[in-house]
Amino acid sequence: MNDGEIMIDGVSNTSKSNQESEGINLNPNAQKCLQQLLRVWLGFERDLSTVPLLRRIDLGTYTIEDHLCLLRNLRQQVIEGARWITRAASSFDRNHAGIRSTIISHAVDEHRDYELLEQDYVASGGKIEDILGMERNIGSEALHGYLMHRSSRQNPIDLLGAMWIIEGLGEKMARSWAERIQELTGLTEDSTRFMSYHGHNDGDHMLRFYEMLDEVCVDEMATSSIVKTSKVVARLYRLQLEEVEHGLE
Amino acid sequence: MSVYITSTGAFLPGPPIAVEEVEGVLGAIHGKPSWLRVQIQKANKIQTRHYAIDKNQQTTHSNTLMATNAASECLDRSYISRDKVGMLAVATTQGDHPAPGMASMVQAELGLPELEILTAHGICSSSMMALKAAWNSLRLEEHEAALVVSSELASRLLKKQRYEAATKSTFAEKSVDFNTEFLRWMLSDGAGALLLQNRPAPKGVSLRIDWVRGFSHAHAFPTCMSVGSAGRVDDERTWQDYDTYADAETAGALLMRQDVRLLDNILRMGVDGYLRLAEEGVSKPAEVDHFLCHYSSHHFKDKILELLDAAGVGIPEERWWTNLYTRGNTGAASLFIMIDEFLRTDEVEISEGQTILCFVPESGRFNTTYMQLTVVKQ
Repeated sequence: MNDGEIMIDGVSNTSKSNQESEGINLNPNAQKCLQQLLRVWLGFERDLSTVPLLRRIDLGTYTIEDHLCLLRNLRQQVIEGARWITRAASSFDRNHAGIRSTIISHAVDEHRDYELLEQDYVASGGKIEDILGMERNIGSEALHGYLMHRSSRQNPIDLLGAMWIIEGLGEKMARSWAERIQELTGLTEDSTRFMSYHGHNDGDHMLRFYEMLDEVCVDEMATSSIVKTSKVVARLYRLQLEEVEHGLE
Repeated sequence: MSVYITSTGAFLPGPPIAVEEVEGVLGAIHGKPSWLRVQIQKANKIQTRHYAIDKNQQTTHSNTLMATNAASECLDRSYISRDKVGMLAVATTQGDHPAPGMASMVQAELGLPELEILTAHGICSSSMMALKAAWNSLRLEEHEAALVVSSELASRLLKKQRYEAATKSTFAEKSVDFNTEFLRWMLSDGAGALLLQNRPAPKGVSLRIDWVRGFSHAHAFPTCMSVGSAGRVDDERTWQDYDTYADAETAGALLMRQDVRLLDNILRMGVDGYLRLAEEGVSKPAEVDHFLCHYSSHHFKDKILELLDAAGVGIPEERWWTNLYTRGNTGAASLFIMIDEFLRTDEVEISEGQTILCFVPESGRFNTTYMQLTVVKQ
């Protein structure tokens, strides 16, 4: 049963974060950017409902096979995620040292998350060699290629748009997928630790996100680049999820 | 061409029914009190509601009659004669007859000759669909006046006999079937009516319709609230596909269901639609003086408040007004019943030039509708 917890990922954290540190008052550009990011997120989240494998979570027909398939496909994205985020950190010059620190510490938090995924996979009945041997799906290729390209540019502030989508999805996994997947498949917490774990960390991550947004989003050009990157990442992330059931042969 | 709401009317059948009397009217299924009633009623905080059925579950007022009563009150309060009404638009989730459309039946009952009619079929947001069509026909100068009526008779679907007859349904199989029982403690009956004219009323308050917008997301989401299927993923039949209607009823295909897991999506899409209107500059949150929001349960009020605030488009709680708690959740009829009482209540001061934002989300398959009104006083 729905227990009445209704949240927009990230946004619920906004209000929480605002209570925690009332000092964060976003500048007008950042506020406008956040509203646009929110719409990108809501559209992304809605469109995830059209991805066949995820729709089965909504409809209640998601199986252990589906779960194994999802984990196999997520692993590459998580491994590559650690790479683009560290690349992005190194692309910020000394005028953006604060952001660089934030991104480095974020990367430290998450750069070995794929190991959790591997353990979840085995706990769900999968063979370790199957997940280790899985190559990037078509969507993961596109997403990874795009993120490495953007993060190699000098001071890639637009990647805040990428973090917005990816962090939001982390929270969504924890909030609406992990428990539901256990309920539908009979798997235990050991099979969804990657998903649950993300929810715990993301409160802090979002607070840092707002601080960064306030710092870099100071004009319309910054807003539009952040929003555009969030849209591209949302589309490519969905592509990656749409491709999970397609063989690579 | 500006169009105004110049008169309103409402009809609520029978006496107000208190929380603890509800099961006495709808009937205890197989004589056993519900396990879920108290929990759901506590969450929605509806104190009184009205039913068009009596304690023996016999219909006291047809849907057509309720619509007609609300429409008559609206016309009686207006400053025009009935023959000026060029269009009748009626919205309901389920009319008394599957066919013809309910507008035909309401027209006949009202005795309005030779006018254009429209029946809007849907759930809560069908009222906005009917209103928008009527508004547009006045803007096109096809008519001088249009009557818009929304009416709901949900209790006929919620009475105990419906559930008792569904002997091979999910409801019969499960010890607690939350999705099938949820709406039983949410919905009730009533009707509302608005008169639209191409000029303000000569006296008193009129409401200019500034815009009406809607965004439906059925292309992306599964169905959330429905009547007509058995509520099993592997069974695609709808009620008319069974050999007999009796078979459909036995299978539970005529029970009203809400997939409560999907419900939070309607709030998200509601906020998305409002952000879109704010982004387009169509609505300015700071300039909204009164917010009439059709939320189905108090449970959702705080969630909507929180989401709008977090998105930076919050409307302070003191500007919200609703009569959900005393009139019940009457689906499509709710907004019109709300507008009717809002114009008469002493709780708020309504003055010239004020902006009223109305919001009707429909969880059926995720439609969100919005309207802005401006107060005009003569």
